[in-house]
Amino acid sequence: MIERLRRLDALLLLVIVSLAVLGMFTLYAAVHQGGIQLWQHQMVYWGLGIGVFTVTCLIPLRVLALLSWPAYLSALLALLLVPLIGEVQMGARRWLDLGMINFQPSELMKWALMLLLAHWFASRDAASLKSLVPAMVFALLPAALIVLEPDLGTTLLLLFSAIVMIFSAGVPWRWVVYGGLAGLISMPVLWHNMHTYQKQRVLSFLHPEADPLGAGYHVIQSNIAIGSGGLFGKGYLHGTQARLHFLPEQHTDFIFAVLAEEGGLIASGLLLLLYALLISRIINIGLHAATRFGAMLCIGIAAIFTLYILINIGMVSGVMPVVGVPLPFISYGGSALITMLAALGMVMRVAIESRDKLPWQRPGSPFA
Amino acid sequence: MIANSLEIRSRFTRRTRLLQWAAVLLLLLLFVRLADLQWLQHEGFLLQAERNRINVVPVLPTRGDIIDRNGFGVAVNHISYRLTLIPERAENIAAVLGRVQQLMHWSDGRLKSLQKRIAHGRRDRPVLLADKLEWLDVAPVAARLHQLPGLDVQAGTHRFYPYGALTSHLIGYLSLARREDLQHGVLSSEKVGRRGVERSFESQLHGHPGSQYEEVDAHGRRISVFKRTPPRMGERLQLSLDVGLQQAASQALGKRTGAVVVIDVNNGEVLALLSKPGFEPNRFITGLETEQWQTWVNDKRHPLINRAIQAAYPPASTFKLLVALAGEAKQSPLIYGATQCSGFVKVGDRKLRCWKRRGHGHIDLHRALVESCDVYFYELGDQLGMQAISEVAQQWGFGQPTGIKIGPESSGTIPKVGHGQGARRWFRGETMITAIGQGAVTATPLQMARFAAAIANGGKLLKPHLRLGDAVEVERQISVQPEHLAIVRKAMRDVVASVHGTAHRAMGRLAWTSAGKTGTAQVVAEAQDDDKRAKGKRKKIAKQHRDHAWFIGYAPYEKPRIAFAVFVENGGHGGSVAGPIAAAVVRYMANHSKTDSEDKSLHKQKSARPGT
Repeated sequence: MIERLRRLDALLLLVIVSLAVLGMFTLYAAVHQGGIQLWQHQMVYWGLGIGVFTVTCLIPLRVLALLSWPAYLSALLALLLVPLIGEVQMGARRWLDLGMINFQPSELMKWALMLLLAHWFASRDAASLKSLVPAMVFALLPAALIVLEPDLGTTLLLLFSAIVMIFSAGVPWRWVVYGGLAGLISMPVLWHNMHTYQKQRVLSFLHPEADPLGAGYHVIQSNIAIGSGGLFGKGYLHGTQARLHFLPEQHTDFIFAVLAEEGGLIASGLLLLLYALLISRIINIGLHAATRFGAMLCIGIAAIFTLYILINIGMVSGVMPVVGVPLPFISYGGSALITMLAALGMVMRVAIESRDKLPWQRPGSPFA
Repeated sequence: MIANSLEIRSRFTRRTRLLQWAAVLLLLLLFVRLADLQWLQHEGFLLQAERNRINVVPVLPTRGDIIDRNGFGVAVNHISYRLTLIPERAENIAAVLGRVQQLMHWSDGRLKSLQKRIAHGRRDRPVLLADKLEWLDVAPVAARLHQLPGLDVQAGTHRFYPYGALTSHLIGYLSLARREDLQHGVLSSEKVGRRGVERSFESQLHGHPGSQYEEVDAHGRRISVFKRTPPRMGERLQLSLDVGLQQAASQALGKRTGAVVVIDVNNGEVLALLSKPGFEPNRFITGLETEQWQTWVNDKRHPLINRAIQAAYPPASTFKLLVALAGEAKQSPLIYGATQCSGFVKVGDRKLRCWKRRGHGHIDLHRALVESCDVYFYELGDQLGMQAISEVAQQWGFGQPTGIKIGPESSGTIPKVGHGQGARRWFRGETMITAIGQGAVTATPLQMARFAAAIANGGKLLKPHLRLGDAVEVERQISVQPEHLAIVRKAMRDVVASVHGTAHRAMGRLAWTSAGKTGTAQVVAEAQDDDKRAKGKRKKIAKQHRDHAWFIGYAPYEKPRIAFAVFVENGGHGGSVAGPIAAAVVRYMANHSKTDSEDKSLHKQKSARPGT
């Protein structure tokens, strides 16, 4: 047993624990005025998440590979069901009602696609059209469904994480350039087909002052919160922007502003440092993975985390348009936390299976 | 194949390292952005955060009470509740107003005018929605304040006028600040005095608002107060008015239209200043409702005009006092002699009649004043000429405002002959008509009271004042011989005391001996030429064509204390109509100010208010 525990990646665990502690304190600060019920919920989610993390650590990678196709296909099926029986919330049809819980198939698809691409590129590299074209189809098919929901943020996140994996899997530079050009050309088309509220968000990102009480309000208020925090912050539970409810969505998407206001640049820098450590560690585990499947898995997971962090903090600090993305391990929310911990469980599994082994040398079946 | 797979491995490592660096670099860029916000731009954002949370709220001063000389409140503050809205804090102004309308049962018209007010005002300042509310009225709204952001219920005071219409013209009323007031630092939720004492003593009564620094949340709700500058409260104002006297005058005047002015002959204090009809000042709620205002504006009796100072009427026979003084001053021969009154004089082909058809017979100045002979004054006026009358009249304050603080004041008119470019041809007959106070001469009741006071006090033309304790202002000392004055005074006494006097019946048996002069101003000139017919039809003459009744004078005769002017519009004969009202004034004064020691005991009872 102790031998088993020794094989866990200590640095990854340490980072997760640090983020958990920071997250609990920050969430408390964000919600304590309205009662600590939400905070208690989140504690329960952390308990559940740790359970899920532990279970995922115990699942062999080849079983995960085996699950990739069923996971992808069922996520695709769920996405197809959304337009038929989905629930409308805030103007977009994204949710499926499964009796006990509402869930977003697009959320599931992010991880399923990542799993499938890891599986796909485990035995192939991306240098041939024969392997590249199906991979692109895997990504574009759900992306098309999600963009119609409409959910532009998740679509872009999905596509970017797929691009990162394809890039890592060895697509020739030439094609990277072509892809980039194609992306640039498609931008006006995308803009033209965007919904008014989406355009509004982009515009208010470019000029938040133009409409300070409307679409730009959130970003202006979170910038004030962050900026007024200064180097050392206003003190724990003493942020005026947070306490007096000037911050929108302060326990979910805008929770970073609470941390930055009360803890200053010290706290926000510390969080960024923890994230940098987390991502680097995941990538390092990927670099030293014993199988190419495990390596690709780590790349995909690192990509998703990185995008979450960049989009969320970028949005809150006013350098990205407003897109509803949670801040990993800090924002309130059960399903996001549990799936992220499950993903880290997979990374930990890669670390466990790779310990004392040489890294992979050539592409091969994940079932070997 | 092996070389190829090695290549795949190394390419994977290279690319992944590249991605790793890219991720770290992007996070570093985020850090740069945060350092920019939290370090370089920190101070600006801190200021914005403070502005967000700190709200400077005005604290309104309490307006000073207005009390009469005996301490009775004529304008006081009652506790009530007010409803205000800060537009920028309401997420949806229309929704909030709609809900309030529902809870307060407001009319749609009221809602519309409020929306107009809100649209024109500043968005960050409270707008007054309703005022003078009882707790039971606001309770439904107060209980739902958390659902109605921007709305606030404040306990405060509202102005109450215990005597209502009785003091309405003198005291005035308040209304919400207008745009021009805002430029003088008044807040839009404050009220400002309009008309009367409330306006003229605004700076004393108003005080100065303080401020309060409050911490507010994003919905504008107050969380705490951390700094407070108290307001400077308005000062109490004690008037020289005797509200009991004003009431006595009002009761005597009854429902008739007119004015009564009583001033202290020695110091110019205004003891009563009544104009009827009045208006109900307590009706001025949140700005007056237009319907009520319109009925007042359209009322034929013009309740919004302060007849005591704003309306000038022909002084009629009361003006004979002035003509007598002018005759004395100019040494007119008639003053020392007498004339024959046969009931009329002829000027050219026109007949000017005396009110007494049979004539007064042989008549001198004393009798002419006591019995108000017109013919004597036609002739005296004719001897003097218009210029001399005009000159003396101006000395005694005719044709010029008295300078009382509660303007606008009418200055009355006194014809100036041969002066200025607009001077027209002046007829002899006109001078003679003017000499009996008809025609071109007009005066306000206040001017007449001041004139009477000047006769009583030896020629001191006083500036009437309203605030108790204000210094006496003598506008000028009129150069008049004491023996000349004594002649006029004696005549005035006999107007009351002599059985032949025109006011003997009304005022002959009072504790104070009064001195006075009646006046009956003709409204329709033709009545004089055809007196007989008019007399027969007296009751049939339309009310607006009836004569105006005057009585001016002072009391007590021996040691004058008060001067008064009573005017009854379309009232009829001066002696019988205005006389009894003056009698009521003198009776009240005689009963209430016998000695100084009794004055003191009166002060002790100031808590008890005379009934309204």
